[in-house]
Amino acid sequence: MQTLQIKAISGHAGPVPGHDAQREDAGGVCKVIDVTTCIGCKACEVACVEWNGYPFHETTFDNTYQTMPDTRWNYYNLIRFNEHQFQDGSFGWLMRKDQCMHCVDPGCLRACPADGAIVQYTNGIVDFRQENCVGCEYCVTGCPFNIPKFNSETKKVFKCTLCSDRVNVGLEPACIKACPTGCLHFGTKTDMKELAENRARQLRNHTSHKNAGVYDPQGVGGTQVIYVLHDITNPEAYGGLPSNPRIPLLVRLWKGPLKWLGNLAMFGGVIGVVLHYLRYGPKELDKQAEQQK
Amino acid sequence: MTNGWIDIKNTDMMLIMGGNPAECHPCGFKWPIEAKRQRNAKMIVVDPRFTRTAATADMFLQIRAGADIAFLGGFIKYALDNNRINKEYLVHFTNAPFIIKQGFKLPEDGLYSGFDAATQAYDKSTWNYEEGANVTGKPAAADSAATLSAKGAAQGRGGEGQGDQAQGPVGAKAIDSRTPATLPAKVAYDLSLEHPRCVYQLLKKHYSRYTPEMVARITGIPKDDFLKAAELFTSIRKDGDLKKAGTIIYAVGWTQHSFGTQIIRTAAMLQLMLGNVGRAGGGVNALRGHSNIQGATDMAGVFDILPGYLKMPNVADVDLSTYLKRTTPTTSKPSEWDSLNYWSNTPKFAVSFLKAMYGDSATKANDFAFHYLPKIDRKYSWAEIWDDMYRGIVKGLVTFGMNGVMIGPNSQKNIEALKKADWLVVGEIYPDETSEFWKSPGITPEMMKDIKTVVYRLPCAGFAEKDGTFVNSARWLQWKDIALPPPGQAKVDQEILARVFLKVRELYKKEGGKFPDPILNTAWNYTDPQNPSLAEVAKEINGRALADIADTKTGETIRAGQQLPAFAWLRDDGSTLCGNWLYSGSWTEAGAMIRRRGTEDPSGLGIYPNWAWSWPANRRVLYNRASCDVSGKPWDPERRQVWWNDTQQRWVGNDVPDIKVDSPPKDHMGPFIMNAEGVGRIFGPLAAFADGPFPEFYEPIESPITNPLHPNQSTNPVVKKFDSAIDKYGTTDQGFNIVCTTYRLTEHYHYWTKNNPMNVELVPEPFVEMPVELANEMGLKGGEKVKVSSARGHYIAKAMVTRRIKPMIVDGKTTYQIGIPIHWGYRGIQEDRGKTALNPANLLSPAVIDPNAYTPEFKGFLVKLERV
Amino acid sequence: MSETAPADEGIVRYTFRERVMHWLTGFTYLYVLISGLAFYTPHLYWLAAILGGGPTARFWHPWIGVIFTIAIEWMRQTWRHQMRITETDRHWNRAVRKYIENRDDEVPPSDRFNAGQKQFYWVMLVSTIFLLISGIVMWFPELVPWSLRSVRSVAVVVHEIAALVTIGAFIIHVYMGLFVVPEGFKAIVRGYVSPQWARMHHRLWFNRVTSRE
Repeated sequence: MQTLQIKAISGHAGPVPGHDAQREDAGGVCKVIDVTTCIGCKACEVACVEWNGYPFHETTFDNTYQTMPDTRWNYYNLIRFNEHQFQDGSFGWLMRKDQCMHCVDPGCLRACPADGAIVQYTNGIVDFRQENCVGCEYCVTGCPFNIPKFNSETKKVFKCTLCSDRVNVGLEPACIKACPTGCLHFGTKTDMKELAENRARQLRNHTSHKNAGVYDPQGVGGTQVIYVLHDITNPEAYGGLPSNPRIPLLVRLWKGPLKWLGNLAMFGGVIGVVLHYLRYGPKELDKQAEQQK
Repeated sequence: MTNGWIDIKNTDMMLIMGGNPAECHPCGFKWPIEAKRQRNAKMIVVDPRFTRTAATADMFLQIRAGADIAFLGGFIKYALDNNRINKEYLVHFTNAPFIIKQGFKLPEDGLYSGFDAATQAYDKSTWNYEEGANVTGKPAAADSAATLSAKGAAQGRGGEGQGDQAQGPVGAKAIDSRTPATLPAKVAYDLSLEHPRCVYQLLKKHYSRYTPEMVARITGIPKDDFLKAAELFTSIRKDGDLKKAGTIIYAVGWTQHSFGTQIIRTAAMLQLMLGNVGRAGGGVNALRGHSNIQGATDMAGVFDILPGYLKMPNVADVDLSTYLKRTTPTTSKPSEWDSLNYWSNTPKFAVSFLKAMYGDSATKANDFAFHYLPKIDRKYSWAEIWDDMYRGIVKGLVTFGMNGVMIGPNSQKNIEALKKADWLVVGEIYPDETSEFWKSPGITPEMMKDIKTVVYRLPCAGFAEKDGTFVNSARWLQWKDIALPPPGQAKVDQEILARVFLKVRELYKKEGGKFPDPILNTAWNYTDPQNPSLAEVAKEINGRALADIADTKTGETIRAGQQLPAFAWLRDDGSTLCGNWLYSGSWTEAGAMIRRRGTEDPSGLGIYPNWAWSWPANRRVLYNRASCDVSGKPWDPERRQVWWNDTQQRWVGNDVPDIKVDSPPKDHMGPFIMNAEGVGRIFGPLAAFADGPFPEFYEPIESPITNPLHPNQSTNPVVKKFDSAIDKYGTTDQGFNIVCTTYRLTEHYHYWTKNNPMNVELVPEPFVEMPVELANEMGLKGGEKVKVSSARGHYIAKAMVTRRIKPMIVDGKTTYQIGIPIHWGYRGIQEDRGKTALNPANLLSPAVIDPNAYTPEFKGFLVKLERV
Repeated sequence: MSETAPADEGIVRYTFRERVMHWLTGFTYLYVLISGLAFYTPHLYWLAAILGGGPTARFWHPWIGVIFTIAIEWMRQTWRHQMRITETDRHWNRAVRKYIENRDDEVPPSDRFNAGQKQFYWVMLVSTIFLLISGIVMWFPELVPWSLRSVRSVAVVVHEIAALVTIGAFIIHVYMGLFVVPEGFKAIVRGYVSPQWARMHHRLWFNRVTSRE
């Protein structure tokens, strides 16, 4: 992707090169995951692994249909299965595709200290550029969804790229292409938000899911990946989707006020000692020696 | 399927039962999802466990495995009691108004009239229509009391009690059982449906016993839940609504029982009553379990048919005309109605088939070489083959892409059978359990020395390395090209078969033998006889003219050597050749219809008439004349499949009309053109079914309870239970009190994906799904090993403790069900790593088969569980 | 470390071992300071370039930090007795303003280390403990379970605040040593000071050391 299509860069001093380029983006790209029509078939898991050229792993049985307990540096998306009793007494087997949410206000980018290791394009995709990554794992701390995963061999962090390479040439992400039931949709945020809201409304009006809604958490400014859930009041039931994700307070503090206070303190300290020297100068030995005598 | 995959999006109501399409047909499941999204269609899922399909359903009911007929029978009763039927459809498009002859008895005691305990078979002559005419409005003839009820019949036999099934009711003795009974040409019928012996009244009486209480008792589904489901499914006909359409979708959850055929029958009857067959978004829809299993059955990969579902000749068919007389139905209907009876063209299909088989050697003079065809003298189904091998009758087996040991049933029997065989040829793409049966767990090196079977392993081509056609559940023939050639020495199937055949023919030529003629005279006129091009074979299957033929009505002619455009051109005089009449039209002079990929769908009904080619004659929805009322107007003008065009005086539509195109509605030609009656069969007469004209609920052969409907005849009386030394059956007295079912996962496909790292990553190890309550009782935690035993063998795997299978109350007793995915054996990635117990799931299943389709009872047998 | 008698060039202030210890601590601190500053603010990220690049700096920062911790521990073992806060120090603290204004004659006498130096020692020691613990959490955040994830961000904040505290102390320490206190730098490099210096700045120590001659 070209430089002018970047709207935020991690660890970067000064403005982003393309910051004042005018662009029609309708809110950027958006992937809708309609959990109510997901059948947990894992075509998306496999498509992602194959598109990114990763190998298949050895896994072990864990009393669930879920392929593995968590995403990995080379396994970007994972269907989380959860047997759940809804409030109205009905039973559900919830299947949620878990991957990077591509937040509008990404915690990973905020936390990252390495210049250019994480970029956010004008289309909203948040991409890791491993050549600039220093492997400090600040992004792991900054993400409210526990997404970035560290490769201990190469000391780089990886996550879903929303197939930025495919999107760049006008293709849909690999997972979208593979989904057999059309549970995944791709388009502009504006269009997809409307599609998702319509679907949620349809669920509320025509099915037993009166609490259906769209998950587009404003605590991170909204996300380029949104869910339609049967029960928007209980996202945690869907394999631990955070109800109100925000960049952790301490991360915001550390990257915000604390930074300026610290800079001020250090700068102030240096100024302080310069002023002291100008005012008082060094301690003079000779005077004392003379006095002693 | 009577309908198609894409057509499912047109439905308003889906009953998905005996199938788990979200799991096993994820791509096809797109269409039920579309129906929900686009039409707010409702989905009811009924299954022994809460499946991936259930996760998207509007209503889920957990049913005891094998209790499906009770459930569907309950639906039929509900529909009848609450007038949730399409009356006009029922009267005019089914045999509901037909009168059944006297002497027929319903099976209140579990047996229909005509059962012979000695032969364990039925004399079906009473299962027949009464000869006659329109008796609507006329009072019913005075029937003798004895024929109206089982009780009456018992009294008529001099009070021998209900236990004696040997004799039929009064009047049965008068039937001459030597000549096979036939359907009467003219059938008595009552359009008011009030005659006590009309099919409708008998139907009502038969299912009157399937009350919600009885359904709850048998299925384990609480009565209120059952009623909610019945209300929902039949709501499409509430208050006289005839517009809505409902579909029933099923797979091997229905077929893999000793009464599987009758389960499907019950669903078909329900759909006929609701008027759903022939309509967009309706139908009776089987989801086939393999990419080309539809093709396999169409091309007669089963012993009792010839390609195109022609009947297999038997030893009584002494010549072609006898065979044709036996297998060509004559119409049987109300005389005022019309019936196309398309099977009346059997002679054309059969002779064209013989010409395809034997070419110039088949002539009018030699009965078109009919005597070359093998004649069956008994059943030779899958389970019979293995039983014969076990008994030493079958000496050798050639198996292509078919893992007999893993399939079972009763896998140990199959392994023992292979030990006794002289030779085994396995065509596969990797070493499998069958080709390594001699290494199966439990066989020591000493025992291996005693195994004399010679095993030949032929490396074959995988599906991407072959061209040809796949025929999907929607009956679409789709040609595929080779993606990459087979590796190394692997060969395509047709080359292997051709070379074997030609070598055998050579040997016959050289050495002679018993009746070499069929081998020597088989037509084999391919450009490369050692490796016939499948395009040539496909063209042969489509058929061509062998002489110039003309259509006398239109004047159209087809030259000798030209491909036939349709099966309507087939002749019985030897002037046409056709490998499978159903596929005629698939490869015409215009080219390979099966290669087409036209994406136009002008009607929006998902018909896509120019995408590939579906049999028959590119019709996408079968029996589509029934999508209109008697006058030829569609039941729902917004989903018009076909309709009668009065100006043109023909049937037209978005789909190809499945009726004689110029037969006006006033002639009352029945939409079910493949039935002799022309109408759908609510009542399956005579030899239509081995076990009864109406489905009756019978327990699986291994069942936790006695059949509450008739405890003295708990199971299907005509079901075949193999009884060799290695065929054992378990009862609750022996401690087998848990109901077991077997099934498949999305992430694996039968027995070969255990060799693929991708699938193995997604689901690495075998497991047994069991209820939390059962696990707690046994002190078992998820991931701990459990041993499942049936009377035949045992299976060890890790427990998956889940809330998706709940305990049930069946006939007042708490009953547990467990489920086992079948995908692991003793050879594969994890198996070779020592990560599994190396046992196939089908060590557990019983060799018991459905008497109509011969499918084994892989689901719904008894086991017990122990910790390991 | 024992106090030493005067040498020909002056009084031995710091032994060879003490000086090695100090400079080990100092240089490792400089490394973690510079690399830490690079990661602290994008405006100083360029500092990483002179340390071998981002990934290299990130790799070595925790290891050098561990060496720094070991050096601090060595320092603690060496000087802990001499760094105890006494009544003398409390007197000194009350007169610290005079010390800042260079009115050293009015400042109460100090022992080997004056109160300011002792405070520097304790600030660094305590901060190092916080830096070490929070540093380990930041080194392996994936070992912290998701349910305790707030520990990760707490660690970062603790690490930064502790670092800033050490930076403040460090600025004063370097300023004092290089610019304010003559012979201070010579002391920690060459190891000895003039008797006048000793008498002026650390009278009590001077008296004790010279009385042993």
